[in-house]
Amino acid sequence: MKTAVLALALAACAWPQGLNPSALLKLPTDTWPTYNGDYSGRRYSPLKQINASNAGYLTLAWAFQPRSVAIKSTPLLINGILYLTVPDRVWAVDARTGREVWHYHYESAGGDHIGHRGVAMWGNWLYFTTPDAHLVCLNARDGSVRWTIELADWKLGYFSTMAPLVVRNHIIVGVSGDVTDIPGYLESVDPETGSLQWRWYTEPKPGQPGSESWPQGTDAITHGGGMTWMTGTYDPQLNLLYWGTGNPNPVLAGDIRKGDNLYTCSIVALHPDTGKLAWYFQPSPHDTHDWDAVQTPVLLDASYQGRPRKLLAQASRNGYFFLLDRTDGQHLLTSRFIETNWAKGIDSRGRPIPNPEKEPRPDGTLVEPGSDGATNWMSPSFSPETGLFYVVARRVFSIFYYTATGKPEGWAGRDRNLYSDSTLRAIDYRTGQIRWNHELGPGESVAGILSTAGGLLFTGDSQGNLLVLDARTGKTLWHASAGGNMVSSPMTYELDGRQYVVEGVQGVLYAWALPESLSQAK
Amino acid sequence: MTWIPNRIFVFALALGGLPLAAETPAAAIQRGRAQYVQACGFCHGEDATGNRAPDLVRSPLVNHDVNGDLIAPVIRNGRPDKGMPAFPLSAAAVSDIVAFLHARVDESLHSAHVSNDYPAARLLTGSVQAGRAFFDGAGGCRACHSPAGDLAGVAAKFTPLDLEVRFLYPRGAPRTAAVTTPGGQTFEGRVVHLDEFTVAIRDSGGWYHSWPRSQVRVTVHDPLAGHRELLAKYTDADIHDLFAYLETLK
Repeated sequence: MKTAVLALALAACAWPQGLNPSALLKLPTDTWPTYNGDYSGRRYSPLKQINASNAGYLTLAWAFQPRSVAIKSTPLLINGILYLTVPDRVWAVDARTGREVWHYHYESAGGDHIGHRGVAMWGNWLYFTTPDAHLVCLNARDGSVRWTIELADWKLGYFSTMAPLVVRNHIIVGVSGDVTDIPGYLESVDPETGSLQWRWYTEPKPGQPGSESWPQGTDAITHGGGMTWMTGTYDPQLNLLYWGTGNPNPVLAGDIRKGDNLYTCSIVALHPDTGKLAWYFQPSPHDTHDWDAVQTPVLLDASYQGRPRKLLAQASRNGYFFLLDRTDGQHLLTSRFIETNWAKGIDSRGRPIPNPEKEPRPDGTLVEPGSDGATNWMSPSFSPETGLFYVVARRVFSIFYYTATGKPEGWAGRDRNLYSDSTLRAIDYRTGQIRWNHELGPGESVAGILSTAGGLLFTGDSQGNLLVLDARTGKTLWHASAGGNMVSSPMTYELDGRQYVVEGVQGVLYAWALPESLSQAK
Repeated sequence: MTWIPNRIFVFALALGGLPLAAETPAAAIQRGRAQYVQACGFCHGEDATGNRAPDLVRSPLVNHDVNGDLIAPVIRNGRPDKGMPAFPLSAAAVSDIVAFLHARVDESLHSAHVSNDYPAARLLTGSVQAGRAFFDGAGGCRACHSPAGDLAGVAAKFTPLDLEVRFLYPRGAPRTAAVTTPGGQTFEGRVVHLDEFTVAIRDSGGWYHSWPRSQVRVTVHDPLAGHRELLAKYTDADIHDLFAYLETLK
């Protein structure tokens, strides 16, 4: 371990443009070194040059138009360079001007090109997942390839969209799947060589703890699911990694996999050096509606019932907000953050109890939310100043049809969306109560949220507007009609004394800042 | 799926160059299914999802196969180490089995879809009478709709699935708005855009207008408001009953 730290320190010294690993342990200011800005997943910045008193003056600093598909990634920012992705492509962009530094194109053999969340950085190297489920290590200086490894067999339906997470000398990387019945896993690879350090499978092997939550004597557990397709979080003091897992397969077919189906739709705490499971909590036991529990497990160090606690909060795709003690997974609170109609109540362990009547049926079952979820991959945010957890929530009514006639494989049916609208909800993490909400309009917003010490929230509505809201009240302080909906999660940084906020809107990356005259007049 | 044209080519070769038009993928799959059930179904399951031998739909070998390059040798040679005997089938039979297995994989890959021709029989689990009662009573549908008026023949216009999805939430019925300007003038028309900041309408003459919301008074009429209220109230039985009733309006 010591050798690895030393090697990392040397690597950082040798190439001053690379990422100094100590940046991963600080609040993000002149660096945004990981998908959510820091390990906590709060997507909170201590920057406050832009604040409630001046947000109305925000103006365009630059726009970068890669002429690509929609940008769903959050760029990293290291030493004045942004690193941005879409499926198969990485750009290095000057964070001061929005001008391209280099561009890398990966020729994928196939796989799902649904979206991409971003790269990870370790020293001078970038780590990029691909639609055909490979991991590419690139030289951050010029985008040249150092090595490529296969994460999974794309011909079986695997792909990868996530931004890996760097924990010391581990590159933690997950896989995606959708229509095929394949097991999910999370793995750690060596940053220098790409060799496998460990792999944790979402489904236990028969006989292992958790396997009792699947039917015995059938092949149900091998149908898998439980993809690890969003970036998790990490607590350096506890040395625990927190990760959300996706839905079990076949997606809508509950009858052939009766039981809780561990560890799908779960939040798991893993030891980053071994991949061993420390504890788990399951937001959606026995899911039959595609409600992945991959939403950021946000780490809060905050007071709960009168004493400081190490907390973990998730606003889950199934419509429920969960608060846990992240040292041991003890459940503290469950509440709904949007209307739902699928649970009969909450069990003694804090889990919603699925109503079997709301499982998909051949003649249709009306469920709220639909498979797209009450929220999804867009980032939530937690501001330690307001004590509020912010989430883009959707009311989605959908009718689920179970269509398989023989033994189900894959999805075994689908839901038809009927109506949806979106709202930003500010949740008091101590009670689960909604302090305020800000309606975002009809349709399903997929804009993430950034909160800042300037008392602001940066997000977008479902009508093509970018928004700055007052983090305490939800009042709109600034907006811009951006020519499309934000389908990414915002980030911010300060360079040369000027704070920038970067937001992807379809195929354009916008950087907003105060006019230079205001930025300099501190 | 790239195997389809290649598969036709292989078949054409096997028959010594018969016209391509004589063969369709569906025919090969159909023959393949019969061949498969006879030779393979006992162990691998009649739908290829496994039995005493592995599930072939999820098999890496099947998923990597191109035109039988991996499957055919296994059929011909067997896997003696795993207890699978060799099957001395004709090239054409093997080719058809390959087509069938790829079709099964394809079905699984496309299982996240409810097609518009979804059979009415699966949807018809409700009571026509109860559906009529809901329409006339608790549903409040009569306030806007009439079975002899706007809904006459509605079940003949849409596939059963479409009918169900549309009565639950008929997309496309436009909102209308009356916008009163600070000068007291009122404009009416179909809503083109409405958000926190802007309202835009198209008036009866076809002209587009927009205003900042902060400067006008806007009254919106949404003909679908009743449908949204019902979405929060329906039981699944209400939906199935209402569908059974509306499906009679041919």
